Amino acid sequence: MKEAYLAKDKLLPLVGLLMARYRVAAPVAVGDYHQFQILTQPEQLDLTYRNTRLSPKDLFHPQSEKLFRFSTAADDPDANILKEVERDQGPRLVFGIRPCDARALRLVDVNFDTADCQDPWWVERRRNTLLVGLGCTAPCATCFCSAVGSGPFDPGGLDLVLTELADGYAVAAASERGEALLADLDLLSALDQDRAAAAAEVQKTAAGTVARPFDPTPLGDKAMTELFQSPFWEEVAFSCINCGTCTFLCPTCWCFDIQDEVQKDAGVRLRNWDSCMFPLFTLHGSGHNPRQQKPQRVRQRFMHKFKYYIDKYGDGPACVGCGRCVQFCPVNIDIRQVVALMTARCVCPA
Amino acid sequence: MHTYIEAIRKAARRLLTEKRVDAVIGFRKGTIPFMNEPVLVKHPDQVDQLTWDSHCGINLANYLGQRPGKVAVVAKGCDSRNIVVHLLENQIQRDQIYILGAPCKGMLDRRRLTAECRGREPHSVEEFDGRIRIKGRDLELDLERRAFLQDNCAICIHRNPVIHDELVGEPVAEQTGVDRYEDVRRVEQMTSEERWQYFDDLIAPCLRCYACRNVCPVCYCPTCFVDESKPQWVGKSVDPTDTRTFHLLRAYHVAGRCTDCGSCERACPVGIKVRQFTKKLERDILDLYGYEAGLIADQRPPLDTYRPGDPEGFIK
Amino acid sequence: MSDWEPKIVTFLCNWCSYGGADLAGVSRLQYPSNIRIIRVPCTGRVNPKFILAALRNGADGVWVSGCHPGDCHYIEGNYYARRKFTLLKNFLEHTGIEPGRLHFSWISSAEASKFAATAREVAAAVTALGPARHFIKTEAEVA
Repeated sequence: MKEAYLAKDKLLPLVGLLMARYRVAAPVAVGDYHQFQILTQPEQLDLTYRNTRLSPKDLFHPQSEKLFRFSTAADDPDANILKEVERDQGPRLVFGIRPCDARALRLVDVNFDTADCQDPWWVERRRNTLLVGLGCTAPCATCFCSAVGSGPFDPGGLDLVLTELADGYAVAAASERGEALLADLDLLSALDQDRAAAAAEVQKTAAGTVARPFDPTPLGDKAMTELFQSPFWEEVAFSCINCGTCTFLCPTCWCFDIQDEVQKDAGVRLRNWDSCMFPLFTLHGSGHNPRQQKPQRVRQRFMHKFKYYIDKYGDGPACVGCGRCVQFCPVNIDIRQVVALMTARCVCPA
Repeated sequence: MHTYIEAIRKAARRLLTEKRVDAVIGFRKGTIPFMNEPVLVKHPDQVDQLTWDSHCGINLANYLGQRPGKVAVVAKGCDSRNIVVHLLENQIQRDQIYILGAPCKGMLDRRRLTAECRGREPHSVEEFDGRIRIKGRDLELDLERRAFLQDNCAICIHRNPVIHDELVGEPVAEQTGVDRYEDVRRVEQMTSEERWQYFDDLIAPCLRCYACRNVCPVCYCPTCFVDESKPQWVGKSVDPTDTRTFHLLRAYHVAGRCTDCGSCERACPVGIKVRQFTKKLERDILDLYGYEAGLIADQRPPLDTYRPGDPEGFIK
Repeated sequence: MSDWEPKIVTFLCNWCSYGGADLAGVSRLQYPSNIRIIRVPCTGRVNPKFILAALRNGADGVWVSGCHPGDCHYIEGNYYARRKFTLLKNFLEHTGIEPGRLHFSWISSAEASKFAATAREVAAAVTALGPARHFIKTEAEVA
């Protein structure tokens, strides 16, 4: 089955049905914003969000995670042996993920799931999790998904895509797993022609609303050294305070740090999100720091996402245009402006 | 406010043309409503970028520490007090800075304004005669400015710069009869258990992004205590005990130096009211030692000095 | 629970309070063994990080003792310490550490009986509060 219709009064019952089969993560109201949380009740679901404050990447790559446990006790025969921490790898479903965030997971796959090396935690969670996306009927002024190869109803990365209509949702399968899921769900009805047309109209209107603040083509064309040595980085970097806001809120940032924490004779090996914005990020054991200066770090973030990733994988930038960094950078460094500087064909005299 | 903008640009143009400073630190118009971006202007023909409005909450003194050469900076009351703290702590020399003092009637709280939009997206904001008009898709609001000030601005008693080389606007009347410590007293009414829970709930959303620390002008240690590893005082994860340790110790480190500029709360991406930590220390320092940060340029900060008769009732 | 004994991390300045503790020992004065002493050159050396670290590591109480004001071996270390401890104690108690877990005293090297008496007082106060419930860092409470 490739498409169906979900009436609005069947939404919570459907979520309940899904909760019986999967651990369901969905947007939940937290203070004055929304976060993805594993639901304990269908009623927690709150779809009155534009997007969650943090991206759902932490469902696959938690901010802090215990990977292994070990003992250092002298009399323990298992001393100094790392033992993987048990975790629930049972089936999950993310309900209400935006297309940009789902596409971001594909971009991060490129890092964690390669021919040479797979991060077992990431790979397992991706394999066990279905993604039911809610397309954006009213994209924000800060969104620019269309400029980076995605769109408000981009099915890439999703298993099902929901399009909100007046009294329900058009549901479309976007993958084989999605088709299988659709076939297996009660509470859905057939999608009639009128509703299908209405959904197409909603999608077309939304796509027309998303801003395209830059054309990314020059990013691939320009020489890396030209961009690297551009004089505008000093100006861009001035206001940056080198916090982790952009990196932590970003759905495509994946960098992490591993540290062992030991109390007495037991310890855990932790993985924590790290940020290229932090001065310690590139501090070598020798004491040398290749990115000691702030403009070097600021440049790194934009170059990584909008140049190195493009050059390395030929798959567009490592950015999905979700706009979180634009909205929450404490000093309003606007990635759209920076990329416009990077793609500019002429350089204005300083 | 328009007069401020003209005055700032005029002064910047003059200072740069006459080469009295190498650069001017101010704000340029933000790309989204309720925000502006700190900017460093180096050439007289760029001064028209400089702007001023009620969304200039970030403390520009943060960009002064250890800066070489001469720089002009636009400073509100709180910012100017942080400049005094910088001078006291030898982070910059007086003859390096030209202070464009900006008397301030308070900056607006972008979180509260956004919440007032109730999920509808603001596209523009205008201000006049003490009112704020917000427009967006299906959105038109007319709000009273005074009701949407940042928490710290609502209780500010030092709106005029305490140090300046010139003012870009007329001095404003200081607020009187302001209760600065109502929230401290509220916590003091709670039992220990309730207090513990209150602060636990407060910092539960913390991401350890360090926006609060990095936006703060007095947090400038080359190696912050969170990055010390021999020994490691606080873990790097979002473990609640580690997160609490970070907030406790950071608030303590800024004790007597914090001017309550509110940049920390403004910067936090998840809206944590971190001033709940610093307000207690600020109140105690005022009560016990009669000291307010950044008011007097030749008075040592409270933890850098002592009086033989300091209170010690709790010491056995 | 009935056989629980508090652990009280105690910072004693080398010149006065540590001397006082030593004299108490030599004089065979009895004081509770819950007091776990760390010798520092001066109370001015005691950084709030140490007190937080003690609590994080499971201390049920922390006691800092130094020279009387005016008698500091380094002239003024204890004056600075006095301000630090005043603010720190108020602050930690404001954020929910129970009053009675943090103690401060001035004890000279001759005041052996004051040392023993204060040790008993501190131990009793901490015992009455029970084991420290908050702010202990054990295994990271994360995913």
